Amino acid sequence: MSAVSAPGGRGWAGKTLLLARKDLVIEVRGRDTLPPMLVFSLAVTLLLAFTLPDTSRPSTRIVLPAGTASVADVLAGFIWVTVLFAGLVGFARSFEVERHEGAIDALLLVPLDRSGLYLAKAMTNLAFIVAVELFLFPVFAVLFPIGLGAGVVAIVLLVDVGFVAIGTLFAALAAQTRSRELMLPVLAFPVLVPVFIAAVELTSDLFLGRPTRAVVSAGWFGILLAFDLIYVVVGALTFEFVIE
Amino acid sequence: MIALEGVRVTYRRTVALHSIDLLLLPGVTGLFGPNGSGKSTLLRVLAGLLRPGGGTVTWDGVPLNISDEAFRSRVGYAGHGSGLYDRLSVRENLRLFGALHGVRDARVEEMLELVGLQDRGGWPAGELSAGLRRRAAVARALLHEPQLLLLDEPYANLDDDGAGKVSDAIKAWRTPGRTGLVATHGAKRVKGYADAAIILQHGRIVSYRVRTPAEAPT
Repeated sequence: MSAVSAPGGRGWAGKTLLLARKDLVIEVRGRDTLPPMLVFSLAVTLLLAFTLPDTSRPSTRIVLPAGTASVADVLAGFIWVTVLFAGLVGFARSFEVERHEGAIDALLLVPLDRSGLYLAKAMTNLAFIVAVELFLFPVFAVLFPIGLGAGVVAIVLLVDVGFVAIGTLFAALAAQTRSRELMLPVLAFPVLVPVFIAAVELTSDLFLGRPTRAVVSAGWFGILLAFDLIYVVVGALTFEFVIE
Repeated sequence: MIALEGVRVTYRRTVALHSIDLLLLPGVTGLFGPNGSGKSTLLRVLAGLLRPGGGTVTWDGVPLNISDEAFRSRVGYAGHGSGLYDRLSVRENLRLFGALHGVRDARVEEMLELVGLQDRGGWPAGELSAGLRRRAAVARALLHEPQLLLLDEPYANLDDDGAGKVSDAIKAWRTPGRTGLVATHGAKRVKGYADAAIILQHGRIVSYRVRTPAEAPT
């Protein structure tokens, strides 16, 4: 059986899964996207391990020029900056495989709703981001005093949804420009700011040991959910115009 | 029947197509012209991949719209690139596009044989020579037996044997009611089966000739 034959039916869902599987098969064979993302994440983590002062307790205060911050704040900030940059490295590459040899033209002419193309690419990008996080968070937990409970996992997945939804959309947009590697961060950063601020605030609270219920009832959680919803809806509705 | 009225395409300051008026009849039409004459642009407009800056394109009276899934399922297009994924084998590529078009795997094998790639089906598309890749691209475009076939330089990099196989595949596809437009520099390649010929120059149609019944290809 072919590695990319359709799983089950040939409806919208079957074709979408088929395209997502195609991307994963290509990545498994080529290893073009995930290794650079992982190497970048490891490099930032190791750099941080040598840079931070005593981080034995998340509540330790670090003096900064503008005031003080807890170790938890700094770690949460660094972990999400790492995810953000590693993600953009991966997203920027996600449409390269379609551009090469004009596969995008062939893809645009298949009878599948554009939302299927979008979802397939988003699922692949989500898989890459989750793979990076499965590597990054345990490494952080080994090097720094942070706990990885169910609350952290839930927040991470919610952040990923918003990140991938808008990152995939802008990656498709940037792929049509000459300076696509430069364009993606320029386009995506301003839009992603609310999601990543919420991510830092929520994970910082969790790293400090606050109960998940208290963290979830905070305003940032609502903001994260709202932006996730907006990004997913905007991504699905506008992808057709972007890709065509 | 496909009708173009006043179709104009401009790339920045370069006009690629100057107000084209054309009635494309069923059958295969050869599209000729020097480099930069607008052949590829015209094919992309007809495939819906390029929105003209002016004018209209209709197919049986309906405006051409790439957002329409029914339209997409009726079009077969092979552009300059092969449209194949390098890391997938030729067979996997064809099965992928076949599945997306609702085509059975048996049809994939049929197409591989038709373009003479049955022994190379397991090769990664990225490892094929330019000529073999071209054949695979034609097979991909023909896979779902489209009503409208648009081929951009299908004979590029092909030897005589390969060119013959591509011609055979196009002839096998050609049935009454179907419309094909084949852009090529090799007029003699399509001479054997084309029903009409268009010559483009500087984005303008300078000649459009339909074969008379007496001249009709076999």
